Amino acid sequence: MKKRNKTLLLPLNIVRAPNTNLVMLRAVLDKEFTRLDFGYIAINYFIRGGWIRISSETYLNVKGHQHKYVLTHAKNIPIAPEQHYFESSKDWQYFSLYFPPIPQQDCLIDLIEEENPDDNDFNYYGIHLDMSTAEEVLQH
Amino acid sequence: MPINKKAYRRYKVIDACLRNKMRPFPTIQELIDAIAEKLDIDTTVNTIQKDLAAMKLPQPDGFDAPIQFNRRKMGYEYTDPDFAISGVSLNSIDVDAIKEAIEIINAIGGSRVSEKFSHAVEKMLSSVREDLTPQDQERKIIQTDAVTDARGFEHFDLFFSACRERIPVNFTHYSYSKRKFQAITIHPVFLKEFENRWYVIGHSELHNQLRTFGFDRIYGPEALRKTFIETPAQLCGRYLNDVYGVFPLKDGEREKIVIHTNPLITNYFRAQKIHPSQHIEMNEYGDAVITFELIPSMELARLFMSYGNQLTVKEPKQFIEFIETYRS
Repeated sequence: MKKRNKTLLLPLNIVRAPNTNLVMLRAVLDKEFTRLDFGYIAINYFIRGGWIRISSETYLNVKGHQHKYVLTHAKNIPIAPEQHYFESSKDWQYFSLYFPPIPQQDCLIDLIEEENPDDNDFNYYGIHLDMSTAEEVLQH
Repeated sequence: MPINKKAYRRYKVIDACLRNKMRPFPTIQELIDAIAEKLDIDTTVNTIQKDLAAMKLPQPDGFDAPIQFNRRKMGYEYTDPDFAISGVSLNSIDVDAIKEAIEIINAIGGSRVSEKFSHAVEKMLSSVREDLTPQDQERKIIQTDAVTDARGFEHFDLFFSACRERIPVNFTHYSYSKRKFQAITIHPVFLKEFENRWYVIGHSELHNQLRTFGFDRIYGPEALRKTFIETPAQLCGRYLNDVYGVFPLKDGEREKIVIHTNPLITNYFRAQKIHPSQHIEMNEYGDAVITFELIPSMELARLFMSYGNQLTVKEPKQFIEFIETYRS
């Protein structure tokens, strides 16, 4: 496979539904990790924008695979029970979630933070990782 | 035997490739391609191998270049990352001139440019300081509007290299006005500082046009290995020369902008042109009609608004409407 073992970046820009204040921005597929980048926009519904955190049990599910790729670490977002409190309802946060490496091939993935989620959980279903849109990242 | 001119030009290209932090560990084929691109000549694997061997020879036959083949990365590298063959010899007059320049750069603030540059200035200053008295070292003659700890400034080195090496960059961008995140790939052309903020300007794939992005709104830039989309020089010229600030208004074209200023504000415009196209028609009582040939921009609107009712925009109609909307 031509692009295997290179670090690949896939722009996604997928807005969560129905609460649209979370965007899955990019997937980065490295031979040592999988990284998902997100943008979260605080909203008026919560006092001073509320807080965010990520469950340590968050995992990726690759359609057709039995294996769960469980969160290894996170950047710019605390792992529960720690929380990041916003200062206002106009704040925002860019953060990244890291998982074990998934295959560098066309696939559908689910991001599961909660098995029985509400609209505020960071769950995504059926994200298409289309390798024809992947770009190789230059190491620096 | 002296190094011939053709070989020296190839060595310079090889040296640049080996020092390119954005594309480390070049292969022989990548060196051949770089020479073809930069010098427009075809070379062979054999020639490159000989060149690498020649560069490793001790001086004066070679450059003592610490070149090695990295088996893990499958490419060549300098074992000493600070090595370069392009050293220049300076006489004492040159050195004194450089010392003065370094002092000025230090006063202006090396950190305005980049951390890497700041370190370089600090290194050079340490040698200059030996020649200065303690009083001279402490005396600050120039104070500038330097800003420290600006968000996104850490991206300077990456974008500077990307502009120079013509490398596309993907990053995520947060728009303050739209409150929206987006992953964007740009083909950066140049960096611009305006009012102590840094911006990168380049062709945005998402917008399919030249766009400006503030460093402070950029997260996670990643350099990409893909074909670079060139921006016509004419378009870059417009961005550099015809815009006051960095954000031209949508589909903005260069046009005549007319303002009226009261006597107090007129003094500031007379003292310092905000653009080379500025033309002032003075009136009898000190007020003035000032014209510019510019692409209307956010920053021009903000500048005009900052003078309150002491400045009135007379033309063009669309720019007047924009300012009124922005005020409300």
